Amino acid sequence: MPTKWVLHWHPNPGSTVNSQILNEVSQCAEAINGVKDGRWKATLTLLKPNLREDQSQPGEYPRELLGISLPEQPNKYYFILRGPRIVTEADSSIQVIMEKLQSYKSRIALYFEGYQYQLGDFQLRVGKVVSSHSENLRGIVLEVEYLPISSMEKASQVLGEFVDIWQEAVLKRSLPGSFMHNEPNLSEYGLGDNYTPQHTAVQYAYVMAQLFASQSTQAVRN
Amino acid sequence: MECVVQGIIETQHVEALEILLQGLCGVHRERLRVHELCLKSGPNLVHAVPFVGPVASEVRLLCDLEHSEPTWTVKHIGGAMRGAGADQISVLVRSMIESKASKNVLRLFYGLGYKLENELLRVGFAFHFQRGAQITVTVSSINKMLKLHATDEAVPVTPGIQLVEVTAPATPENYSEVVAAVSSFCEYLAPLLHLSKPGISTGVVPTAAAAAASLMSDGGGTTL
Repeated sequence: MPTKWVLHWHPNPGSTVNSQILNEVSQCAEAINGVKDGRWKATLTLLKPNLREDQSQPGEYPRELLGISLPEQPNKYYFILRGPRIVTEADSSIQVIMEKLQSYKSRIALYFEGYQYQLGDFQLRVGKVVSSHSENLRGIVLEVEYLPISSMEKASQVLGEFVDIWQEAVLKRSLPGSFMHNEPNLSEYGLGDNYTPQHTAVQYAYVMAQLFASQSTQAVRN
Repeated sequence: MECVVQGIIETQHVEALEILLQGLCGVHRERLRVHELCLKSGPNLVHAVPFVGPVASEVRLLCDLEHSEPTWTVKHIGGAMRGAGADQISVLVRSMIESKASKNVLRLFYGLGYKLENELLRVGFAFHFQRGAQITVTVSSINKMLKLHATDEAVPVTPGIQLVEVTAPATPENYSEVVAAVSSFCEYLAPLLHLSKPGISTGVVPTAAAAAASLMSDGGGTTL
C-alpha cells in the first residue's frame, strides 16, 4: 500500500475558489511532467440521525456520520464518527444495510473528481469538490501518493519534498491561494504507521471539515 | 435475499447427520464458532415501517471466532416474502444483506446509538456446496453467555438439541429455482430431521434413531 497526503486549496483572504484556478492547478500537474492517466472520483456523504421530531435529545446521538467511497477500493466503504474518533471499513453492501436500517439518512454528498497523473514513483490526483445540492465549485483537492513505501513516517520526508516542488510550481502562477496540508491526528483513530485506505478516509473527512469551516468564515465576512 | 429452512436434531444423531451430509455434498465440513450480537437502535432513532409506524431497527453483528484473527460481518435480515405464492412453498424467502467489516464495527454501532439486545454463540460445523444453488448447511448448538461477551463460559440454551439451518442466496429473478433446489436437498435429510420455515418448529422426527443407526453402521453408504 502506498502512502498518501490529501491537500486542499486554501484561498487567500477575500478571494474564492473558481474553475480558472482548477484549470491552472491541473496545468501545474502537466508542467512538472505528470502524465494524465484517467479520471477518478471519491464521494463523501454526510448522514444525520433520523430522530423523532418530539424526542430529539442533543448529545444522545452523534450529530453526523460520514460515509466515504474511494476510487482505489471500489468494493469497500468507510464510515467515520469524528466525535469518538472511529473509522470503520466495510464491504460496499453496508450502504444498503444502512438504507434498510433508516436510522441515519443522507443529507448532503460531496464529490471529489478529476484527473490523475503519473510521475515516476508518484501519483497525483487533482480534483474539484462539488456538492449534491449544487454544481458550484466548493473547493479543490490534491492527492499526492508515493507508491513504493507504506510507512507514513518513512515516506513523510519524500512526500514533503515533493509537495515543496509542487508548491513552487503553483506559486509561479500567482494564484490567489495555496494548497494546505494539515494532517489529522491519525493515531487518535487507532491507525498506525502502516498506511491503509482508512488513513485516506480520515484525511478526506478532515478536508471536508476544513472546507466547511473556511466557507463559513467566508460567509461571515461577506 | 436468501432462501432458508430450519430444523432441530438431537445431539446424539449429529454424527450420523454429518456422515450423511459428507456423502451428499462431497466436501469437507468447516468448523463453526460464531459470536452473534443482535443490536437495536436507540428509542429516538426512527425507522418508519409502512402501516406500523416508527419501530427500532435491528442489525446483527457476527464475529467469526474460528480464525486466529476474528472477522466481523454485519447482517441485516429483512421481511419475508408474503402472499399466496409464498404460503404455498415450504421454504422461507427473505431479504438478507451481509457486509464484512473491520473489527471495530461494534464500537461504530454503539457510537451510532445502537444497544445490545441479546448475544449468543453458535458452535458446530457447516458445509458449503453447489447443488442447483449455492447451499450452506449449518449444524450448531446455540449457547448463551452468562456474563457479557464471555464466549468461553457459554452454556447451551437447549442441551441435547442442535439447530440445523439450510440457506442459499437468491435473487428476485431466480428464487423459485433456489427454493426448488433447497426443497429437493431437504428431502435427502428427511429420515433424520424435518426442515421447515423458521419459527414453525416441527420437533425431532421419529425415524431419526433408526436412520442414524443405519448411517453409523455403514458409514453413509446406505441410500436413504
